[in-house]
Amino acid sequence: MNLLWKLLRQHVSVFQLTGFFLANLVGMTIILFGLQFYVDVAPLFRGGDTVFRKEYLILSKSVSTLGSLFGSKGTFSEKEIRALGQQGFAHGVGRFTSSLYEVSATLGMEGTGLHVGTEMFFESVPDAYVDVETDRWAYKEGSRTIPIVLPRNYLNLYNFGFAQSRGLPRLSEGLLSLLHVGIRISGNGLSDRYEGQIVGFSDRLNTILVPEAFMTWANGHYAPGRKAAPSRLIVEVANPADEDIVQYLQAHAYEVEGDNLDAGRATWFLQILTGIVLAIGILITLLSLYVLLLSICLLLQKNMQKMQNLLLIGYSPFALALPYQALAVGLHLLATLLALGLARLLGSFYDGSLSALFPAWERGEGTLVWLAAGTLFVAVSALNAVIIRRSVARMWHPS
Amino acid sequence: MVFKEQTQVVSDVWRQELSFQKGECCLVEAASGTGKSSLCSYIYGWRDDYEGTICFDERDIRSLRTNEWVHLRNASLSILFQDLRLFPELTAWDNVELKNKLTHYKTRRQLEHCFECLGIADKRRVPVGKISLGQQQRVAFIRALCQPFDFILLDEPVSHLDEANATAMAALLQEEAAAQGAGVLVTSIGKQLPMNYTKTLHL
Repeated sequence: MNLLWKLLRQHVSVFQLTGFFLANLVGMTIILFGLQFYVDVAPLFRGGDTVFRKEYLILSKSVSTLGSLFGSKGTFSEKEIRALGQQGFAHGVGRFTSSLYEVSATLGMEGTGLHVGTEMFFESVPDAYVDVETDRWAYKEGSRTIPIVLPRNYLNLYNFGFAQSRGLPRLSEGLLSLLHVGIRISGNGLSDRYEGQIVGFSDRLNTILVPEAFMTWANGHYAPGRKAAPSRLIVEVANPADEDIVQYLQAHAYEVEGDNLDAGRATWFLQILTGIVLAIGILITLLSLYVLLLSICLLLQKNMQKMQNLLLIGYSPFALALPYQALAVGLHLLATLLALGLARLLGSFYDGSLSALFPAWERGEGTLVWLAAGTLFVAVSALNAVIIRRSVARMWHPS
Repeated sequence: MVFKEQTQVVSDVWRQELSFQKGECCLVEAASGTGKSSLCSYIYGWRDDYEGTICFDERDIRSLRTNEWVHLRNASLSILFQDLRLFPELTAWDNVELKNKLTHYKTRRQLEHCFECLGIADKRRVPVGKISLGQQQRVAFIRALCQPFDFILLDEPVSHLDEANATAMAALLQEEAAAQGAGVLVTSIGKQLPMNYTKTLHL
């Protein structure tokens, strides 16, 4: 091998091989870094910021101008709810039950003289869907106190919008739970006073919530014989970015509250971006491969006489191709390993900011990146080896 | 054949049917340009621009695959090229080693003996490009002996050698061919390798 390499290495251009190596390194780094970024960031869109958290979608029917004019109710029928529950993505479906009676509330804080009165409404969902952890979220028949959960949005709207502009004090959640809300419920010829107690704030449910137990009792008591058809549903799903969900919702003209589905769109854009980055990386890798093959073909041309003589004294084309194949594959292997390292290094630049933004974030599985690096290495090496082998085989006959 | 347009060619080889046997020692004599080297190239499988058929033991050599040729050139068929085909950047010894490493046929001692017999022992470490043509011819000859062979082709082996060296080469060749029971085919344009030829052909 030593003597053979002594002959074959002549005319090896360090300049050209360096060119290949750098181009290959850049191409591979872009590919592997693109993949790694995708693997790292995609879970943020897909699974929220915690891996095993349940995700909920709140569905309603589109409110259209025509529908409004012709008195379409926009409520979900039993059949529709059943069909939705049978979808693969739906792990559970809960209904929003609206109050069928009149509710008015007066809000006051003792000692401040502040009293506000308003007409309002209640809604309820099954307790399992309520994202407020408290033992006060219970209603016993006959009790005059109703636990209430408000959307956190309302508090934010007051604190950061209204209170800010009017120079009013901001209210903490703890302070608000001290509020006495006077509630008057009337219907079915009855009218009773209750006391509302704010027990928590919900990020998920954008409504004024009371326990389902109270709602069932109150609807029966103040509006007997009437049935509440839900106009909104809450659906538990594993992955809100699931494409099936988007398709199902579009097919049935259901609308989704909040931005959960935006994650699906963001994922889609991320995929497109990753695709573009990967395409650029693959292009550069292919170009680098082209440079290498040109360089080696030139080398073979320059060493043609020598190689023909070697073939004539009994060396096989295989034996002559081997050193060049080893050179190409070795360089490619080095570039691949370095690219893996570089991709890791580049990844560490966003590690910090991602961890700060999403505390639960963890680096994605490296399997895909390793797999891609391995596949690319094998594919490019095989291509190299075949082309070199063929070039050498062509020297067999002088013509 | 090479001279198919020239219908008047008078030759013992071209446009004829003939065979070489193992153990034979055949001299092919011809003027320059009558196709000696072409003949060697055809038999050695280097060129195939001829008409007609060349067979090794009934097998048409056009049907031999690359790996079969590689095997033949390592185990059955040796050649001393007219243009030597040495590697000028390698030393005389390395040129020989390059072949011997493939076949592991000769021991170091045997090779040293060959170098000594042919009077180039002192040139072993000199790059081939820096020694005379006559010395190069001897290096190429030693290389041709670094393999087992049934036939050895020597294309004008003594064109640059004096009488004494030609005799030494002939002795080595005869010894080697006899030991292997091989056939020898030598070409010449006048100056001959001094051997006992069993057959002389005029190209």
